[in-house]
Amino acid sequence: MSPTLSAALEGLGKIVFIWGVVLAAMLPNLIWMERRIAGLIQDRPGPNRVGPFGLFQAFADVLKMFMKEDVVPIYADRLLHTLAPFILLVPSLAVVAVVPFGSRIPLFGREISLVVADVNIGILYVFALASVGVYGLVLAGWASNNKFALMGGIRSSAQVISYELSMGLAAIATLMAAGSLRLTRVVEYQANGTFLGFLPLWNCFTQPLGCIIFIIAAFAETNRVPFDLPEAEAELVAGYHTEYSGFRFGAFFMAEYLNLVASSMMMTTLYFGGWSFPFLPHAGLAGGLLSIAVFFAKTMCFIFLFMWVRWTLPRFRFDQLMDIGWKALLPLSLLNLLWTGALVLLKVI
Amino acid sequence: MPALSGELVVFTIASILAIGFALAMVLQKTPVRSVLSLVVTFFGLAIFSIQLAAPFIAVLQVFVYAGAILVLFLFVIMLLNLSQEATEEDARPIQRRLGFVAALALGGVLSGAALRAPMPKGVAPAITPLADEIPMIGRLLFSDYLLAFEALSFLLLVAAVGALLLSKRRFE
Repeated sequence: MSPTLSAALEGLGKIVFIWGVVLAAMLPNLIWMERRIAGLIQDRPGPNRVGPFGLFQAFADVLKMFMKEDVVPIYADRLLHTLAPFILLVPSLAVVAVVPFGSRIPLFGREISLVVADVNIGILYVFALASVGVYGLVLAGWASNNKFALMGGIRSSAQVISYELSMGLAAIATLMAAGSLRLTRVVEYQANGTFLGFLPLWNCFTQPLGCIIFIIAAFAETNRVPFDLPEAEAELVAGYHTEYSGFRFGAFFMAEYLNLVASSMMMTTLYFGGWSFPFLPHAGLAGGLLSIAVFFAKTMCFIFLFMWVRWTLPRFRFDQLMDIGWKALLPLSLLNLLWTGALVLLKVI
Repeated sequence: MPALSGELVVFTIASILAIGFALAMVLQKTPVRSVLSLVVTFFGLAIFSIQLAAPFIAVLQVFVYAGAILVLFLFVIMLLNLSQEATEEDARPIQRRLGFVAALALGGVLSGAALRAPMPKGVAPAITPLADEIPMIGRLLFSDYLLAFEALSFLLLVAAVGALLLSKRRFE
């Protein structure tokens, strides 16, 4: 086999693997997981009729969505109304491409690095895509020609712009520590080393403040409770997706879960050591497979955190949201930058 | 006529996207659609940067222009609820004529420059992408171009303070 062909096959294999896991294995189960966790927290069984433990509930939900009538309001901007949910879907799917989901595995005589695209602008690519995703929400709100939807769209753009700033400043500190924008470098830096002699060199230990800021900002970026003001049902009916039904609504639903997966992957990669775990080997075939398992286990932990918070906390008011973003998170993320700078300067990390 | 290659195909598609949507931005009647056309144009330009082996510039193009500045444009348009362009007759018709003349002059200068540019002789040297250009950019920014960098940041600070002052005055 020529080197070009085998490289192409390797790339194709990784693409099929990672998007297969995200779309086919994670996505349907997340719908089920969310509803079961909601049941658990609210002290009720949750969906338990379709299949064992209600595992096939997601398929029933999706089928229901496809059977529903697809309505586009007469005065809506048809083109943009149709495009909006997909504008939201694409960035969160594309983010997955630069996330290192494992170390390296030797396979068929090749050393395969477990990331689809190891680009030198990794983290900037992620932020660029995240900043484009907001168009989906804004356009859905605007194109529906409905005042509640418009309010939702305006709210979401204000919210995302406010929190992107603190999120970016928090992430810059992790790059300072690793000395590269490359996500594989960020993970390798965390995997090899200890902090204070006994902790792994994960960024969540060296910069706990930055980690908390990033997680809070990620909640705001994904429009999840307690930051789901763009779709606050008590005031805005359903916010930006008020005028969506059938499979177009399904696309929004899917985008929300994909965002959840992408954000959880980013938290794992930037702050919790990615595919690494203390005392577990990550070299060789077994180690490589183990590192993939570690990565997805960590990601699932964060997805659980997202769901746990959603069914526990009430929603913020809009003025509180702005206060937290600009008056608390932004100064604190600058403080975190200073802290990390001091650590790097003193060669503690 | 250059040989048909993958690069040429991508370049053609990106050019059509960039020019087509730039035209759409000007001709479009709805302001929101104009903003979106400009977003697509910026994506076309980002593809050019990738082809020139400058992914950093490409990502900044998307991040800063498409992701930040145009979202703010959209935000303002939606906040003011500008659904239609102002349709009433121009108060100053001379502006339109002057604009036409200025556009013709600019187009003439640009196409003249493009036509008179010397064609590269022989095969253009292949661009080798740098392994990691970002540390180099950072180093240049904080050494050779420090003055320009600081001047720019001061300019942005002045703009921010000015905007704050203007909005404050209206509330009082």
